Amino acid sequence: MTDLKAVDYLRKAEFIKNLEAVSDIQAIDTMLSALSHKPEVADAAELRRAVFERQKMDPPLLAGGTAIPHARTDSVRSVVTAIATSRFPIMFGETPVRLMFLIGVPNAAVGEYLQITSFLARNLRGGHLLDRLMNAENIQQFVAAFAEG
Amino acid sequence: MATTEEVKKRKRLSPALRRLLILKLWLVERFRLRERQATLIWATFIGFCGAMLSEGFRKVSELLHYLGTGSDAGLIEAFRQLPPWQRLAVPTIGSLLAGLTLWIGSRLIASVRQKSTTDYMEAIVVGNGLISIRASLVKIISALFSISSGASIGSEGPLVQLSSLFASLVGRFRNLPVPQRRHLVACGAAAGIASAYNAPIAGAFFVAEIVLGTVVVESLGPLILASVIATFTTRAMHGEGALYRSPDLDLHTRWELIPMLFLGPVLGFLAPVYMRLLRSVELLFTKLTIPVPFKLGIGGAVVGTIAIFYPEVCGNGKGLLVSLFHQNWFSDEILLLLVVKLIATSVTFGSGAVGGVFTPTLFTGAALGTLYGQAVLYFAPGLQPDPVIYGLVGMGSFLAATTGAPLMAILMVFELTLSYSIVPLLMVACVLGYYGNSIFEKRFLYGESLERKGAAFFNQQLAEISILDLIKRDPLTLPKNATFAEIAQTFVQHQFQHVYIVDKDKRLLGAVSLHDVKSFLDRPELQTVVIAADIMNENFPRVSPLQGMGEALRTFSAVQAERLPVVDNLSSQRLIGSISKTDLIIHLAGDQGALKTALSGAS
Repeated sequence: MTDLKAVDYLRKAEFIKNLEAVSDIQAIDTMLSALSHKPEVADAAELRRAVFERQKMDPPLLAGGTAIPHARTDSVRSVVTAIATSRFPIMFGETPVRLMFLIGVPNAAVGEYLQITSFLARNLRGGHLLDRLMNAENIQQFVAAFAEG
Repeated sequence: MATTEEVKKRKRLSPALRRLLILKLWLVERFRLRERQATLIWATFIGFCGAMLSEGFRKVSELLHYLGTGSDAGLIEAFRQLPPWQRLAVPTIGSLLAGLTLWIGSRLIASVRQKSTTDYMEAIVVGNGLISIRASLVKIISALFSISSGASIGSEGPLVQLSSLFASLVGRFRNLPVPQRRHLVACGAAAGIASAYNAPIAGAFFVAEIVLGTVVVESLGPLILASVIATFTTRAMHGEGALYRSPDLDLHTRWELIPMLFLGPVLGFLAPVYMRLLRSVELLFTKLTIPVPFKLGIGGAVVGTIAIFYPEVCGNGKGLLVSLFHQNWFSDEILLLLVVKLIATSVTFGSGAVGGVFTPTLFTGAALGTLYGQAVLYFAPGLQPDPVIYGLVGMGSFLAATTGAPLMAILMVFELTLSYSIVPLLMVACVLGYYGNSIFEKRFLYGESLERKGAAFFNQQLAEISILDLIKRDPLTLPKNATFAEIAQTFVQHQFQHVYIVDKDKRLLGAVSLHDVKSFLDRPELQTVVIAADIMNENFPRVSPLQGMGEALRTFSAVQAERLPVVDNLSSQRLIGSISKTDLIIHLAGDQGALKTALSGAS
């Protein structure tokens, strides 16, 4: 799988501009709600359980204020993604976060999971992209910002 | 005191001595006895001793035959001279004694755990080249009673058993490695066949084609040597000569080629009927819930009853074969004898008597071929066919069809007749017979038995070992929150395909596969974002010592993994070690030394 495939998944993502939440749990729940109607999600409750269980273990966070809550679970039929930006930092543990990627991956799709995670971690590592991503109004602008680097 | 120069001079070799040393090195290098040459020497020894043992078996068999019938004539002739009650009594009592020997033998041997087989084919193909002495002797003594009392079964079985046993003993005595031991047992079998039929080429090819399944020079060379030596030894005692020196093939018209060409397929189509008859009667006897001596006794009684009217059914059929080719029999006589001989052979074989069906198969093929030739003579007298030629070609064709070894069949008939002129037609008939049979049957006479024994041996090997015997303790594990950096480091440092993920109580949670992560091992950005729990396979197969090794083998076949995690039991899932596919294969191959090294190397 190439980076293009990862971009493809992002293009199909549910995009939430200026998500308002007082906690990481509320933020994740809002994103899960946005995904729950998607045909790829077979069991929304199980997806929620899996995501929060993973959060309890070691919340995946990137420097610069990005969170990647995710789960590998058969409650999704294929990769589903929700992206959210927030005007105000939301505390994920002790880390303030303004950009969130929620990813659900089927159990068998280890390669896809690693590809998407690797793509996000690589591109968001420096934080230079963060401002452009935060200013995106919709998913097209968001993906375009990635493309511009 | 010697000066340094003098010491140097003394140490320096003279040119002549140096040349001698070079010559010695050259000779040692060229003529050092390697494994291959050593096998040839042993093959020669086994060929000679195999023939001597075969001769000893014949002599004892003749003595028992004399004691039973009071005649030193051949089996058929001796039975002709007996009154009817004795024709019935001799095979019945002989078979009862043969059965009693097997019964007592099995009781005695059952108390000793067998590490070796009694079957030479099994010892060569799937075994370790060791043949049980006690069990073999029981089989040989039983065969002596059956054969000498007129049972309708071949003596080639015990002859091969005897020389294979001797070869196995040589391998055991010399403490040779398993492959060499197996090869020597194969040489013993070739010597046994060669001395039984006075057929050195066919003896070697019988073992190569049927047992080894290969005719490469590496394995064929010692077989040829053993069978040639065995034949020469037998000839030295009995003189030379073909079983039936065939007249030269003289086709009166080329049109005769047409019925000749159809002979192979016709006999090929009849071969499955013959094999199914043998199998069905054998199955019938297995359903009888009576002691072994009585089973064999029934077989003997049936042969005896037939012998009251047709004493020709007694023995392996060699006498009948010679008579068929030397006397002009009518077709109804041949048909009748064929039917009674088939009944006698199938009942003897089915009752469990020790012996072979090789010679009875030769007779069946020869009788069918002769009948076919007589039919050609009847319907197309203008072709002036010689039914004997059809009988000879039919014999080879039927042998090729039933044994699945056309090459051996061609050579066997050639050696039995020493007639080169029939060879081209024989070759065609053997090949067509083989293919004709293959349409209906996928299993052959010897292959079927070997297949059964191979499967039994394999299952026994699996049953003999438990998962705990092959376990390697303390496998490499990581916790479920191990970072991708730790996982990558583990895969780089250790040559494992999977890393097991456990919780704090050592419960197996899953496994991370190198296959899944190898393209990402050089991605530093993943080092802290991804943890083991994100990428492990929670349903990775596992085994428990409570399961059998057969179950472990089935689990291995369902997953592409060199190792399987072993948990104490499938409910608690506590990881106690792992087993490797390679160790299991080494065990199944019977190489205990290599297995110990492999297991100790890992601990």
